[in-house]
Amino acid sequence: MINVHAGLPEFEYVKPGTMAEASRFLVDHVGEARLFTGGTDTFVRMRDGFWKEKYLVDVKHLQGMRTIRFDPEKGLTLGAAVNMNEVIASAEVNAHYPLLAEAAQTVASYQLRNRATIAGNICNASPAGDTLGACLVYNASLYVHGVDGLRDELLRTFFCGPGKTVLHVGDIVTELNFPIPPQGARGKYIKLGRNVISDLAIVGITVLGFPDADVPSGFRYRIALASVAPTPLVVEAAGGLLEEKAASAETIEAAAQLVMEACSPIDDVRGSARYRKLMVRNLTRRALTQVASDLAASGEAH
Amino acid sequence: MSNHKINVTVNGEVEVVEVPANMTLLRMLREKLALTGTKNGCSAGECGACTVILNGEPVNSCMVLAVECDGASVMTIEGLSKDGQLHALQQAVIDQGAVQCGFCTPGVLMSAYALLQRNAKPTDEEIREALVGNLCRCTGYNRIVEAVKQAADQPETVAA
Amino acid sequence: MANKEAQREKIPNPIGVSVPRIDAREKVTGAAIYADDIQYGPGLLYARIKRSPHPHALIKSIDCSKAKALPGVKAVVTGDDFPGYIGLYLQDRYIFCRDRVRYVGDPVAGVAAISEEIAEQAVELINVEYEVLEPVLNPEFGAGPDAAIIHPKLGEYVVANFIFPEPGSNISNHFRIRKGDVEGAWKDCAAIVEKRYQIPHVQHVPIEPHIAVAKVDENGKVTLWGSSQSPFAQRNLIASALGKSQSDVEVIAPFVGGGFGSKAGVSMESLAVAIATRVKGRPVKLRLTREEEFYTAFVRQGLIAYFKMGCDKDGRLLAMENRFYWDGGAYTEYSVNITRAAGYSSSGPYDVPNVKADSYCVYTNHPVTGPMRGFGMPEMHSGLEQCIDDLAHEIGIDPVQFRLLNCVRTGDTIVTGMKMHPTGLSECIEKVAKAIQWGEKAPPSAPNKRRGKGIAIMWKAPAMPPNAGSSAWVEMNEDGTATVGVGGQELGQGTFTVMAQMAAGALGIPYEDVRVARPVDTDYSPYEWQTVASRLTWSMGNAVVNAAKDARRQILEMVAQSWDENPDDLDIVNGVVISYKSEEAVPLKNLVIYGLPKPNDQGWIGGPVVGRGKFMPTYVTGLDPQTGQGPRAVVHYTTGAEAVELEVDIETGKVEVIRGVAAFDVGKAINPDMVKAQVEGGFVQGLSTAFFESLILKDGVLQNPSFVDYRIATSADAPKDIQAIIVEVAQDDGPYGARGVGEHPLVPTIPAIGNAIYDAIGVRVGAPPFSAEKVYLAMVDAGIIA
Ligand SMILES: Cc1cc2nc3c(=O)[nH]c(=O)nc-3n(C[C@H](O)[C@H](O)[C@H](O)COP(=O)(O)OP(=O)(O)OC[C@H]3O[C@@H](n4cnc5c(N)ncnc54)[C@H](O)[C@@H]3O)c2cc1C
Ligand code: FES
Ligand code: FES
Repeated sequence: MINVHAGLPEFEYVKPGTMAEASRFLVDHVGEARLFTGGTDTFVRMRDGFWKEKYLVDVKHLQGMRTIRFDPEKGLTLGAAVNMNEVIASAEVNAHYPLLAEAAQTVASYQLRNRATIAGNICNASPAGDTLGACLVYNASLYVHGVDGLRDELLRTFFCGPGKTVLHVGDIVTELNFPIPPQGARGKYIKLGRNVISDLAIVGITVLGFPDADVPSGFRYRIALASVAPTPLVVEAAGGLLEEKAASAETIEAAAQLVMEACSPIDDVRGSARYRKLMVRNLTRRALTQVASDLAASGEAH
Repeated sequence: MSNHKINVTVNGEVEVVEVPANMTLLRMLREKLALTGTKNGCSAGECGACTVILNGEPVNSCMVLAVECDGASVMTIEGLSKDGQLHALQQAVIDQGAVQCGFCTPGVLMSAYALLQRNAKPTDEEIREALVGNLCRCTGYNRIVEAVKQAADQPETVAA
Repeated sequence: MANKEAQREKIPNPIGVSVPRIDAREKVTGAAIYADDIQYGPGLLYARIKRSPHPHALIKSIDCSKAKALPGVKAVVTGDDFPGYIGLYLQDRYIFCRDRVRYVGDPVAGVAAISEEIAEQAVELINVEYEVLEPVLNPEFGAGPDAAIIHPKLGEYVVANFIFPEPGSNISNHFRIRKGDVEGAWKDCAAIVEKRYQIPHVQHVPIEPHIAVAKVDENGKVTLWGSSQSPFAQRNLIASALGKSQSDVEVIAPFVGGGFGSKAGVSMESLAVAIATRVKGRPVKLRLTREEEFYTAFVRQGLIAYFKMGCDKDGRLLAMENRFYWDGGAYTEYSVNITRAAGYSSSGPYDVPNVKADSYCVYTNHPVTGPMRGFGMPEMHSGLEQCIDDLAHEIGIDPVQFRLLNCVRTGDTIVTGMKMHPTGLSECIEKVAKAIQWGEKAPPSAPNKRRGKGIAIMWKAPAMPPNAGSSAWVEMNEDGTATVGVGGQELGQGTFTVMAQMAAGALGIPYEDVRVARPVDTDYSPYEWQTVASRLTWSMGNAVVNAAKDARRQILEMVAQSWDENPDDLDIVNGVVISYKSEEAVPLKNLVIYGLPKPNDQGWIGGPVVGRGKFMPTYVTGLDPQTGQGPRAVVHYTTGAEAVELEVDIETGKVEVIRGVAAFDVGKAINPDMVKAQVEGGFVQGLSTAFFESLILKDGVLQNPSFVDYRIATSADAPKDIQAIIVEVAQDDGPYGARGVGEHPLVPTIPAIGNAIYDAIGVRVGAPPFSAEKVYLAMVDAGIIA
């Protein structure tokens, strides 16, 4: 770290004309080329000297990369280069996927969010990524352009470790797709940082709850955690418990306990494992309580 | 490393600049155009001293490559006052005593300007949230917040 | 005496008026020039530094041959090129390391090249072989006999006569207080509190990182442009380290983008100058990256402090016994005097008959420590003021009452034996207690919140050599305006504005008609010791007032001669010389340059008016090295108090300060609004150190060298409700009664918050920062929550 570069180290800027050209370039320069969208992770890592690519490949301008589309049947499509402020400002996102906007709103600062993208947040695969939980509980998938053609990747199976994903050389995420969320869903993202806002997450708790007549309690919950495991963590067990039993102070406490037990945080400069576990419990409790109460309120309203 | 020739409109003037690929917008403004009002406090997207308006939105100019700005329009602190006439925000910063060392001030003003463009009557919380990426070590922030409120109360601010 | 005169004289306009800052317009338009903004031309070279990766090691060999061969590299230098020592109070540093590295980041070699990229590549090519040594990582251990010796030549270093190093150990200064009979006093105490506090290193974090640009011409003349609080000290220290005359070193110091002490003395500037000596005629720019800034710029020293204090059954403080182990880091050339200041102020602002204190400055293999806003006082008060609270609780007296009972008052014999000058400390305490509604408890805002209030008080004296001097000139211009020349620096604290106000007031012209000459340039500006110690308003202010009065005298004498009147009957009001006797009037315009014509074209009188003034305290005495006692340890103390109300979230440990109030006795507020701005800013910086800041050092290696993990308060963290209260008990030798307040507002903030947290949850969190984690786990460990 003491040798961080004063500015960005030398590299070539590449702006391909097509996706195919971009993929090809990445394949032809394995280990030497990197894609970027907002660059907010890329430039930092390049300056730190952790990444030493000779080529940075800009794909923001390619077709579809900057569009937000909503289809009442299929759901939401976010071009990979749509920045976070555009997501936060989108009427469709706010109407149907408010949790996505809520999570994006907690990232860094306004000016950084004019560059940072959700696709970059995902592809960077930091367990602290703030928007990953919302994408996970909305069952997002990624549309990937690779050298062998196009494919979908489910986000649930996308992360392999810190900074590691299932993407291969030459793969470019072009879109994020979100299916229509369950009817009546309510969500909450609680981020605990050192500062009031703007810090990275010591822990981040995402909860999405929605009515489901097929389960005994009448409600289902999806819970995802940031910064407490090598990858963003989806805790199924707690949701199971709340499907069985109606949300009450006791069941929520039991669910929060299960969530705490499911995570395996480490000690780092941002927080100790001990504190993180306790915060996972307390803030899961807080988030579940909020979502359960919102669900109850909206049930009454109908 | 190759150079790129770009066209970029800065404070209303069209500039043609040769920039190396690794040159950030921040460095281009300071080193190629001698617009030194935009400051470098970290080169890492954290401090906000380098904030400028790019195509109408504030960005950390240390987190943008100059080559990415080909065809873009940039506004810096030097473009905020017009013909020696201070913008209402600048006057408000003076009136409220919201500047000390002044190193954060250009970035703060750019963020505040952008805020008032998108939200003519921001609340205290909205102002603080909009400025959270502009670190100031001197003022303790409250006077900056008051300055933004003062400017927001003036009708000409948003039109400017 | 200045005081009598000050009392007789009525306070002129615009003294005490909140005029707008003189530099505001430039700063809001981006026109203000900082060192990195100057255009140095096409000859500019860029410097980068090869730094030690080890906290403690011997240098076995340095191979620069590959670096020198790299195209574009113009010079590569190492310690062998510069054998001189450098340092302010204790010359314990080489410019580049010669035999040994003492912290991670210690400069080993420097490169100048035609671009920053090439300079970096060259640095990579320099090969240094080390023999790694055992590092010293704890000051208390470091002060003992088992620690590795970091400075074997300590006994040979040049040192100021009030600093007492202990050669053969890592103790670079040991300051003692022996006042009264501490041992005998304990038995009379009805309550005794004993505590250990550990305060981490923090950093100043000016938003402008350090920068220096140096040029050395064919004749050896050095020009240094830098972001500097201390152009004259830099001139002096660099000249002597390089064996040059002070008059052959010119330091040019434009606006400073925040200093807080980090840009005082000399640090990285000497690297730029040293490299520049090898590339004659070309300017060399060295700009620290933010990360380098965290690793290698001055940091505030860490502290391990032991406090023992006792009071009688009525709550009267009887004795204090304090021991401070300062983690001074690799070099303590500046911080030896911080540990001295903490020693002679070690009782805190209290009247204590029996005091024993030992303040040890200890070398460790941690980052280099230096002056930071508060100069030892924030660290010391952090523990001391929490202990005072504990003692108040122990004896069953309200903490505000306890402080009112014991706080230092005018005429008290303070810890060094000096008599306390007039001070408004008790008024400060009363005012903050009232403003925070002390004694009233509001209910918390939510079931998971606990609410509390806390108070802390402080004192701090300018810490400097006894004879730190100031000088100034006031030069009149054709249009009747005046230009003030000073060597003190505008860091944001507003000194140029205040100097303009004082010059305007003393001269009799409108504030708008005064300019302050800048940049500060040691070739043109009058001498000023350093911009530190909250001393400019007071010391440089005196010099400016004297210079303005000198100019005024010259003008009045000239006009009196012309009008054949007595100067005593004349006055300058609003830029016009008037006679109370003849009721004549003439504007300053023109006459201050061209003089006045004699009647009938018989020649001229007068000529260009330049006033000069100086100030130097002459009454500070030495202290006995064994007892720390002496007639006058310091020039004066500025005192004050802060109180906060806060809420603790018992589910997360997060603390929210709901409001803060602060009162300081500034003697006379020359510009009340700027005093308030200074207090608010200092309070938030103090709050930031209370909640967020600490250099996390693991085996001597910094774990958080960037804003990613060294967090500081943002706009969202600042409490919305901060109230600054001005108390004015005049300083006898201050200009118009003023004394400084630049540093003081962050001194009591940590303990005020610590005391309020205790009030809220009943647990002492102990060492700052009071992170949510620390507060939460303290509650868990105390069994308050599960
Ligand atoms: C000051 C600062 C504060 C920050 N604070 C936060 C915070 O609070 N919370 C948070 O979660 N993050 C934070 N970050 C990290 C960062 O901003 C986010 O991770 C952001 O979402 C990254 O998006 P990007 O478009 O800028 O990524 P980029 O830097 O462009 O890319 C990141 C990674 O993803 C890859 N990638 C990008 N796009 C694609 C694509 N289309 N297909 C395949 N791979 C791709 C890149 O190759 C790279 O490896 C912060 C960063 C900074 C500098
Ligand atoms: S310099 Fe760009 S954010 Fe600090
Ligand atoms: S005024 Fe100095 S950093 Fe804001």
